[in-house]
Amino acid sequence: MKRRFDIGDNVCVRSIDKPGHVRIPFYIRGKLGTILQYCGRYLNPEDLAVGKTSGPGVDLYRVEFVQNTLWDQPDNQPQDKLVIEIYDHWLTQTNTLVKSRAEV
Amino acid sequence: MKGYHDIGGDKAGVIPKEELPWLYWEKKVEAIRNLLGDGTRRIIALDEMRRGFESFGQDKYDNLSFYRRRLEAMIDILIEKEIITQAELDAAIGEKKRVWASELKNSSKI
Repeated sequence: MKRRFDIGDNVCVRSIDKPGHVRIPFYIRGKLGTILQYCGRYLNPEDLAVGKTSGPGVDLYRVEFVQNTLWDQPDNQPQDKLVIEIYDHWLTQTNTLVKSRAEV
Repeated sequence: MKGYHDIGGDKAGVIPKEELPWLYWEKKVEAIRNLLGDGTRRIIALDEMRRGFESFGQDKYDNLSFYRRRLEAMIDILIEKEIITQAELDAAIGEKKRVWASELKNSSKI
């Protein structure tokens, strides 16, 4: 199956209020980032959390965010980045370019 | 809803920057977790254990150390899946305590 995202694609993290164990922290939900790397396909941790150890794998990506778009911290420099691994079903495509506060 | 474990970005005050020793029992907890989760057994997945301590309730979660959380969550899931019973666990703990007590008594005689 073809992957939905390529390196360099701009993405938005979905903000779903899903109960149970999820790997996506609240601070990153709804934020805009860029695909940095493809990590492979893994079983969905949300299924593994309830003992479901079969089924199709889900694509996992390493996604980069500009720190000063995440935190209200004046010390963060425009080049400071946060990299976090996010599963495919938590990402949507976006054409909005990520801009650090300094560029806005 | 944000879970009590999801603390990234919260105000944390001063963070202690000290290296804590990795205790022997903590290494055993991690070794058991690896055995329970490996590809041949698949008894408890890593994410299943995380789900365990993420549903402890905040008081219990906040009062336990990192490895105690993992240990307690593994016990909960082993009982939940009926791999062991609470009675078997209590009996095994009781037996170990008796062995340790008698070893302690013998060693003090030397």
